[in-house]
Amino acid sequence: MEAMKTTNVRTAVVRADGLSRRYGAVRALDGVDLTLGRGITGLLGPNGAGKTTLLSILATVGEPDAGQVSAFGLDPRNAAERVEIRRRLGYLPQELGYHRHFTAAAFLDYVAILKEITDRRRRAQEVARVLAATGLEDRARTRIRALSGGMRQRLGIAQALLGEPELLILDEPTAGLDPEQRLRFRELLSGLPGEPVIVLSTHQADDIAAICPRVVVLLRGQVHFTGTPAELAATADGRVWAAGERDPRAHLSWRGGDNRWRHIGEASPAGAELVAPTVEDGYLLLSHAADAR
Amino acid sequence: MTATRTVLGLARAEAFRLVRSLLVLTGLLAGGAVVWVLFGPWQPLWWNASWQIGFGQLVLAMAVLAAAQLAAGRARRDAMSDLYASFPATAGARTAAQLTALAGAAPASVVLVAAATAVARARGAIGTPDVAVLAGGVVLVIAAGAVGVAIGSRFAHPLAGALGAVALLFSSVTSHLATGANIWLVPWQWNEDALGSLPGPLPGYPPAGAHMLELAGVAAAAATVAFAATVGRGRLRGGLAAAGVLAAAAICLAGALQLRPIPTASLDHLVSEAAAPASVQACATANEVRYCLYPGFAALLPSLQAPVNGVLAHLPARPDQPLTVSQVLGPDLLDSSLTHGHPAPQVSAWQARTLSAPGSAASASAIYLPVGSWPAASGQLNDARFEVALAAAEWAVRLAPTVSARTLSSQTFQQCVPVGQAREAIAIYLAILATHPPAGELRAGLGTGRGLFGSVVGSKFIPDWVFPGSSAYLTPQAGPENTAAGYLLANAMTSLPGQQVARVLARSWGSWLNWHTTDAQLAAALGIPMPSVPPAPPFLPGPGPGGGPPQAPLCTT
Repeated sequence: MEAMKTTNVRTAVVRADGLSRRYGAVRALDGVDLTLGRGITGLLGPNGAGKTTLLSILATVGEPDAGQVSAFGLDPRNAAERVEIRRRLGYLPQELGYHRHFTAAAFLDYVAILKEITDRRRRAQEVARVLAATGLEDRARTRIRALSGGMRQRLGIAQALLGEPELLILDEPTAGLDPEQRLRFRELLSGLPGEPVIVLSTHQADDIAAICPRVVVLLRGQVHFTGTPAELAATADGRVWAAGERDPRAHLSWRGGDNRWRHIGEASPAGAELVAPTVEDGYLLLSHAADAR
Repeated sequence: MTATRTVLGLARAEAFRLVRSLLVLTGLLAGGAVVWVLFGPWQPLWWNASWQIGFGQLVLAMAVLAAAQLAAGRARRDAMSDLYASFPATAGARTAAQLTALAGAAPASVVLVAAATAVARARGAIGTPDVAVLAGGVVLVIAAGAVGVAIGSRFAHPLAGALGAVALLFSSVTSHLATGANIWLVPWQWNEDALGSLPGPLPGYPPAGAHMLELAGVAAAAATVAFAATVGRGRLRGGLAAAGVLAAAAICLAGALQLRPIPTASLDHLVSEAAAPASVQACATANEVRYCLYPGFAALLPSLQAPVNGVLAHLPARPDQPLTVSQVLGPDLLDSSLTHGHPAPQVSAWQARTLSAPGSAASASAIYLPVGSWPAASGQLNDARFEVALAAAEWAVRLAPTVSARTLSSQTFQQCVPVGQAREAIAIYLAILATHPPAGELRAGLGTGRGLFGSVVGSKFIPDWVFPGSSAYLTPQAGPENTAAGYLLANAMTSLPGQQVARVLARSWGSWLNWHTTDAQLAAALGIPMPSVPPAPPFLPGPGPGGGPPQAPLCTT
């Protein structure tokens, strides 16, 4: 673990030190330290854990009350350096409205200009590229108001990909996508050229397990875990059982598709079978522990 | 450099959206419609028409204001502020782009000017376009757009832009409530009564250059407000404050320039043009009729000569008294927007001179054409020509006007009624022969289907005949009140062979002109029955205001 941290620090592209942010009496972030290297980092956490606040600060949109962030060695508190970070950034906010009367292509073209892609030919190529990457090429001339929710989400991802950003921050990008689209999204992220720094927040633990070499669990504004998905799953080693009956002593229990109960807890129910934990199990156990504290 | 290219790229995109927006296209069409309506049925006078086109620009400006507000507030309204904040293009750059994009509204404004100019030229507009006024209209559109951006940078709701547009309209349409020069301080206003009655452009009036400066100041002030909402602290703020002060100074300077009185010499000259038109008019005699027109109106001559000559061609004999057709200026020429800043005694003296000007009293040997009511254009020209022909024919049959007041400003002005007189039918007959108006229009003058109209002469109700465009083109209402009986007999005469009528008229021309000679006698001489006149209404309320038909004198001269 110590060796991995050292490696991360050495290759860190984005660094957050002691980030705190309050909204009135609510402490959204509480001393978050984080380093992000190239590749995909999944950010897991329940609603209200501070994921969106953290991502907006990393995207230079929000400002922390305390602590500091740097990306590519640049300090967003400096106006010129902030612009430089934004030139390398692709951001998908959690709740993105759309200019509903724009066509998909016109919207992307407009965003491309905002991303300083001023050459018309290059802009057209970029728009075509991200439309194809998100499977929207046949919807280029469709007005956004006529797109389905999933298509709009893909359009949001497409705008974030414009300009081949080195830092891609995606706040719940798979929300609203059907299973096939989620698979395609995973494929898309895995195939991005240049190995950008990607941070995505999601409630889908299987997304994390599938594409994120690194995962951060944020609970109540604090980082509770940083490591690989396998390491997160391993935190639940020996504490996940399958049984025919519900065990009231378990921290969490739910009935699976095989009609058997899956238990996460400290003690083995009678007749239960120890099973290999998943990322979700590890996350749920962490979450339970944080709640119990 | 990158920032500049980004601003220009965004501006191009925004301009493209602006010029294609339904709002702006609607505003352009509505602006054109407004200009069309304002041109009305008259031949445009450029010193007035340039401002009328500007009022059309006001409608376009309202649309551009609303469209610019929608664009400026788009990111916040569509919940995209967070995303926009993550882009390298700053909010200030976006504001700069939206302001630059207003150049996209300029072509729409220029299209409106070009279309209106084409219409004006097609209608034979008199004078030359005032470039400063027309350019001011373009500045108005851009200034309104800047105001829209300023509103949108603070208020994203679409209603804010709509309210801004309404405020712009409200300030202009209520400017008549202001007096003196104050009307020129509102975003756009023209005083049609004053401008449309002038015989030519009045130097320095309206103060178009200063008005344009005011609009430019408003645009700069709005841009400053828009930037103030988007740029951060520091030196930029200081620069904005300086720009705001400069914009305010420009507006104040423009206001001071607009409030300056018109030079006394200019108004003296104008009053002279009204009181003694002969001193400035160019007169020409054709077919023994004298035509006097203000400089610049010479093109009117053929359209005036045609109906007069048409009447003269059918006259058995001409009156001894020669006929003069002359342009005059209206009696309300001098309003406060012209005379502001001058001492009251001076203004009273000017007004006294204009009230005694030709055209303020009826004349038996003159046809007066007020500037602003004549020349007529398009379909109305035929009506105007008929009215001139009828006036010439009434001069020919010596149907002199009888009025009980000497000036138009008096409410006691009253026309006489040639009840049962042969000469009225002859005059209408001659006017019809001279101009051949559509029969349907003439018949409509009887008021069929809209009840009976007329006057009470003595104790008898006399149904009248009001031909299309009656009293619209000449001043004062010099002719008599035409009767239904006169028209019906004239109409019956047109169905007879022209030579037969000419022979009957020529045989006793002097007798027909006598006011005692009746229409029944004329009908008998022509061998036709006297047409039946619509019966009087069964109940006639008493004459007077708010009551029944007015009491009118009999034409006896």
